[in-house]
Amino acid sequence: MGAFVGMVIVFVIFAMFGFSRNFLSIAGFANWMNFASTVGIIAIPVAFLMIAGELDISTGAVLPASAMMLGISVNHYDLPMWLGIIMTFSMAASVGLVNGLLVTRTQVPSFIVTLATLFAVGGLTLALSDFLINNTNVSLQSPDWAKALFGTRYFGFRSAVYWWIGLIVVFWFFLHKSPWGNWVFAVGGDPESARNAGIPVNKLKIWLFILCSVCTALAGMCQVIQFNSAQSATFFNMIFFTIIASVVGGVLLNGGFGSVAGVVFGTMTLGIVQQGINYTDIDRNLSLLIIGVMLLIAVLMNGTFQKLATSWSSSKKED
Amino acid sequence: MKKLITTTAALAFTASGAFAADIALVIGSNQDSFWNVVKKGAEDAAMVIEARGGSLNILQTNNYDNYGADLATLIEQATAQGVDGIATVLPVPDAQLPAIKAAQDAGIKVTLLNGGGDFLEESGALNYFGSDEYVAGVAGGKYMANSGAAHILCHIQIPGTVNLEARCKGVADGATEAGAKATILRVPANLDGDVAGTSAAIEAELNGDASIDAVVNLATWAADASAAAIEQLGKTGEVKLGTFDLSPSTLDRIKAGTQTMAIDQTPYYQGFLSVSTLAAHIDFGTKVATEPVLTGPAIVDASNIDATFAGVEAGTR
Repeated sequence: MGAFVGMVIVFVIFAMFGFSRNFLSIAGFANWMNFASTVGIIAIPVAFLMIAGELDISTGAVLPASAMMLGISVNHYDLPMWLGIIMTFSMAASVGLVNGLLVTRTQVPSFIVTLATLFAVGGLTLALSDFLINNTNVSLQSPDWAKALFGTRYFGFRSAVYWWIGLIVVFWFFLHKSPWGNWVFAVGGDPESARNAGIPVNKLKIWLFILCSVCTALAGMCQVIQFNSAQSATFFNMIFFTIIASVVGGVLLNGGFGSVAGVVFGTMTLGIVQQGINYTDIDRNLSLLIIGVMLLIAVLMNGTFQKLATSWSSSKKED
Repeated sequence: MKKLITTTAALAFTASGAFAADIALVIGSNQDSFWNVVKKGAEDAAMVIEARGGSLNILQTNNYDNYGADLATLIEQATAQGVDGIATVLPVPDAQLPAIKAAQDAGIKVTLLNGGGDFLEESGALNYFGSDEYVAGVAGGKYMANSGAAHILCHIQIPGTVNLEARCKGVADGATEAGAKATILRVPANLDGDVAGTSAAIEAELNGDASIDAVVNLATWAADASAAAIEQLGKTGEVKLGTFDLSPSTLDRIKAGTQTMAIDQTPYYQGFLSVSTLAAHIDFGTKVATEPVLTGPAIVDASNIDATFAGVEAGTR
């Protein structure tokens, strides 16, 4: 709820300042939704991990690794597209598996584990692409079916937007309607009682890490197919984007609380702020400052709403 | 709701005066000082554009992590904003050309600056304002070799970027032509903009191969990093330093004699000329007959250092 109000306020502010440059047109809407979709596809599983009390920052490396892998296997080695996609998903899933195993088998916090895999995967991507194709960028000409599925536009919106919408529905059922969703909340809220209640905590966490990497791979593949090119540089901003979207969306950093709808609104807020500034006459050198301040306000507002909501529900219980 | 959006969009169209050109300038990271000089040139051109009732909107990426996609998104954004002309850099043609085509299909005139000159014809752009990266590299490589360098290290801060690769290839070919040897150093792209990290990387190379007696950097912050590495090793004067682009510290070093030269591509002209000729083309139908328009290379060394200083102080060099 707080995330939705925050998004509306941010939207109205940018609509007022960006009105004369068509911020309110369909194309303007598509513009920031397109940006948000890549973040959004990754942000929801990242939020799942945060709700379960873990964090995954290796997404910043898995995204370019997936884009490069698909590009190199299809463009350089002439493998069929479907095989490249399967290989890329498998690569991402194995990164997720490594993350999950390391986090559950050792006492190392997931921030550190995924920090290590972030650099390891990033380094491997750069080294392998330079070794395999003597270049750190790759271009990719995709067959029509792949373009239609992953990298074209419908009504001005990139394919990734539709993937995002589809995933929102699936993930909403997963978190809020399925028993597994309850497990995720239970694991983040109180891991010890969750384990005592018979929830396979480690297994669940490993699957969540795999889900996160696989979704990141999907976002990476959508991007390389859409833009016909990939670069191997680690996408550090993606880490911040996904965490910001989750936190603005009301997910607690210490786990146990959050919602799919909240993360979606958080992602949309980020999209509006990030892209909206270019529709205004505000000095662009101030853009990062404005983003920081706006996000802070959004998060503070969230906290207030959360307090109001909990005090309201607890007072209702007392009645 | 949809009706509301369409009416407001229609209002927005009529609100922005339709008589003089609204221009968008799409350039690289707002944290890279190079683009500030391009921006300065464009803003100076904007004075004339605004006097005619037009406008200039400068769109920049946050960094270079996702450069091609980010630039394509900015071009789409300018298209959505309903501008009349877009001046853009074109470092990642694969990613950007579809967005440029879409803009042209929407009736927007496009011109190129700074990078992507090789794609002038394919992009259907009006003109290109920038240096030929390879030619500039050759000039730099030759200059370093002729001033006594035998083994030049050319440092690429974002491996794989077309214009950077072309620069170092030019440096290597220029050096070879003048009888010197060149090695290209590709560092991980996450070191981009990281002076301390890059300095350590350069230091490691100089340590590892004592035959290297010159370093050429492709950005001024990287030259700062190299200068620190050379000084750290006590090899000032022994290892020559050259860089693409100008900055206050670069010029200070040239003045002090600790840097041999800098290759200027005159970013001020790139911003000024691309934006002003684009607006004039839309408003009056004029077109520069020369294409591409080369704004560099111009080598700054001890012989012409003083004149260059005034420009740096004004933010125009």
